[in-house]
Amino acid sequence: MIVAEQKPLEEIRRMIIPYQRVLILGCGTCMTVCDAGGEREVSFLHSALRLAQAKSGNGIHTFSEYTLKRQCDPEFIDLLIDKVSDLDAILSLGCGIGVQAIAERFPDMPVLPGVNTSFMGMAKEWGIWDERCAACGDCRLEETAGICPITRCTKGILNGPCAGTKNGKCEASKDMDCAWILIYKRLEGLRQLEKMRRYYPPRNFRAIPRPKRLVKKASIGVGENDG
Amino acid sequence: MYSSAADATNDHQVSKTTKSSLDHSLVPPCQTACPLHMEIREYVDLAAQGRIMEALQVIRDGNPFPSICAYVCTHPCEDACRRSQVDKPIAVRALKRFAVEFGGDRMIRAEAETTHSEKVAIVGSGPAGMACAYYLRKLGYPVTIFEAHSEIGGMLRVGIPQYRLPRDVLDTEVQRLAQMGVEIRTNTRVVSLDLLFDMGYKAVFITIGAHQSLRMGIEGEDSPGVIDGATFLREVNLGLKPSLGERVVVVGGGNVAIDAARTALRLGARKVSILYRRSRTEMPADPAEIEQALEEGVVIIFLAAPVKIKRRNGRLRVTCIRMELGEPDASSRRQPVPIKGSEFKRQVDVLITAIGQAPQMPDDFRLRIGRGSNIQVDPVTLTTNRAGVFAGGDAVTGPATVTEALAAGRLAASRIDDYLQHRYPRIDKEVREILAGDLLPQTIEMIRKIGRLEPPVLHPDARAGDFKSVELVYDWATAVNEARRCLRCGMGAEIISQDKCATCLSCLRVCPYHVPQLDASGAIQIPVEQCLACGICVAECPAKAIVLRKPYDRRQIVEELHHTLRSAAESKSKPFIVGFCCQYGLFGTGTLASLWREAKAGIWIVPVLCVARVEADHMLHAFEMGAEGVFIAGCGEQCARENTTSWVHQRVQKVKKTLVQIGIEYERIGSFMLSASNEEPGKELDKFIEQITGLYLTSTIKQEVRS
Repeated sequence: MIVAEQKPLEEIRRMIIPYQRVLILGCGTCMTVCDAGGEREVSFLHSALRLAQAKSGNGIHTFSEYTLKRQCDPEFIDLLIDKVSDLDAILSLGCGIGVQAIAERFPDMPVLPGVNTSFMGMAKEWGIWDERCAACGDCRLEETAGICPITRCTKGILNGPCAGTKNGKCEASKDMDCAWILIYKRLEGLRQLEKMRRYYPPRNFRAIPRPKRLVKKASIGVGENDG
Repeated sequence: MYSSAADATNDHQVSKTTKSSLDHSLVPPCQTACPLHMEIREYVDLAAQGRIMEALQVIRDGNPFPSICAYVCTHPCEDACRRSQVDKPIAVRALKRFAVEFGGDRMIRAEAETTHSEKVAIVGSGPAGMACAYYLRKLGYPVTIFEAHSEIGGMLRVGIPQYRLPRDVLDTEVQRLAQMGVEIRTNTRVVSLDLLFDMGYKAVFITIGAHQSLRMGIEGEDSPGVIDGATFLREVNLGLKPSLGERVVVVGGGNVAIDAARTALRLGARKVSILYRRSRTEMPADPAEIEQALEEGVVIIFLAAPVKIKRRNGRLRVTCIRMELGEPDASSRRQPVPIKGSEFKRQVDVLITAIGQAPQMPDDFRLRIGRGSNIQVDPVTLTTNRAGVFAGGDAVTGPATVTEALAAGRLAASRIDDYLQHRYPRIDKEVREILAGDLLPQTIEMIRKIGRLEPPVLHPDARAGDFKSVELVYDWATAVNEARRCLRCGMGAEIISQDKCATCLSCLRVCPYHVPQLDASGAIQIPVEQCLACGICVAECPAKAIVLRKPYDRRQIVEELHHTLRSAAESKSKPFIVGFCCQYGLFGTGTLASLWREAKAGIWIVPVLCVARVEADHMLHAFEMGAEGVFIAGCGEQCARENTTSWVHQRVQKVKKTLVQIGIEYERIGSFMLSASNEEPGKELDKFIEQITGLYLTSTIKQEVRS
């Protein structure tokens, strides 16, 4: 799941200054789950912006709110068609993908990001999320016992641990586990410690250019048949 | 005030249907178990908020004679109460008694207008007859009650001892019937129904009760000194004082046996024992009554029955035999089997038989009679084999409870109305779903255990030899605290639509009772029979996909907030402070209620049923509407639920963070929770209010300086 954090209210208020009629647009999938832009947060932000406006006394904005099931699919975005005509901007509480998807669909509409898309991760418990994947496109989890050093090691090194490890924690933060100690312990449990002896060559960044595209459908040429 | 309420039988049905269709909650087990289907959960909830008069209103809507039920109801609701799975059931009857005594029941006048010309005769004035008269009068029929005894009330008068039902309570209800214009003819035994029809009555309701004691069928049963329980109680209750001698034995195990034994004690008998042929678990009498009888010194000999009575020298020699329990019989109780050669003898002065009663109907009624001399009726229409003749109560069911009789009377009134108006009988259908199922062990584990608070009772020493009411009434604090124990079954959270749910699992993670579950398809289910309606998941759901099932007249916090803010805007008092205050327990009626009632300048209370339901959005909204300060006051450690305080703190922190970003001082929001050590949140609150007032003055001065 994609995890994000709502932007500070000051920043959002600054962004919307040029626009009078603003739609606060929530996303019903990842942003709801990570508590950054679901229907409740849309409503809370709406209240906060109205309150801020009442407090500063410059009543120039009119807000509306709506939450799409997902902002990253064109068909869902089409549900907005009737709503955009009387808007000056959309404040999207979708992740970076959602913001761009909305922008792509409505070329004349300014789209503002309401959240900082942070990482791909999982919930540790209620209210705490941890990063787990960097989407590097070159997965080595088989070699590292299912623990990703790219995301979970501060340095992202492939041959760890480094000298900065102390009591299983990272030198960067005492609260952070050293990913390579975790890998070691898990390999030990799996009786695969020999994998620690191997040298992992640097990743080939040329193999993973950006922007990436994933094509699942086969391209079927004219005249081809499968029989 | 009350008489305008739509409580006449047909109106009752109509209003019940509309109420039901607006009520999204499930019917709780207490209501299902109640023969009158009273809205028990509602009035207990109102009592928990200290809204006693409103509680009484709900009670009166569902019960024609609540003050009587408050004393003698056998409370099947308490037997069905799911709180008993946690600790002990809610003391519903005692709470009803409290509501009746403190809600001003005595001041309520019942009124009725005559709108129909068809006269209805009611034969018998027991609870069924009285209830039928009450509802028929409400429907506008002229009603006459015929009673063979000198006073009205049937078994309430001649069967139930005064220490269980004080006669002034009964008299008040009888007087109310008279006020409504019910014609009452006492000392009038009806011997022929034809005569009633000749007198111009268009319908007759037979509710003659079951006053004829069953015979034991043993040798010497007719000896002097042997008396049946019903006759004994009747004589005592109508003012006679039979002399009993020293030793009395009562045969039987029902409420009549217990009543007879306790009455005998009060008449001066030295030694009173009860012979019951089964064991205590099979004893049909109310366990609390058994307990009280034992306290008073009644001795119960279980697994024993008399086989022969012989009178000698003015005393009775009773031969008894010991029993053992065999196979279960038709009533699914284990059948007592005599043990050969186990006879023993007792010398007593009086033997009272109380092994059951049956109706005794004049032959000229010409009604079809079924098992145990009960009158046969159609269970839906209550019609007998004769046109225009209806029957109900003990005469139909055999000895049953007061509440069942009241329900029969109410049903009869509605059926007689249908009959007289040539309507097809309207079947009162419950449109709401009925809550079923037990609490799971993991749910029970998380429920805060709060012991049942029993109403005080008269000390056993003060009881014997006196007919004063044994059970006393709660004081205010105890009643409110007892009512707070209610689990509010059937009002739990539901997911509006699975489509809206993002399956984020927040509800599953925040629920203090571990109620929400993932089903095999990966969807969240909130089993309604487990949910205790704390509302935490509703406030924490990021998709706003969860709501609480809402009873028809309950306001949600948003509605309460808007209502309060509107009133506040009209009053223009400054500073304007909004307080979200828990209304449960004494907190709602105590310290904070004084804030609310005194209406300190500028403090507006939004009553909430648990502070865990107050969302961050609600707090911001109050500020948006111009509040200078907002506070949340909850019952903290007194709360009947777990964890509510920490959720309030979470949300207050979130709002503080937002306020600071907007440029509002975070001191303007505060939360106050009662703790065991600090039972006076008033002072803290006063300080908070002073602080807000200070901030308000500073900002006003600043503004003036600026301008």
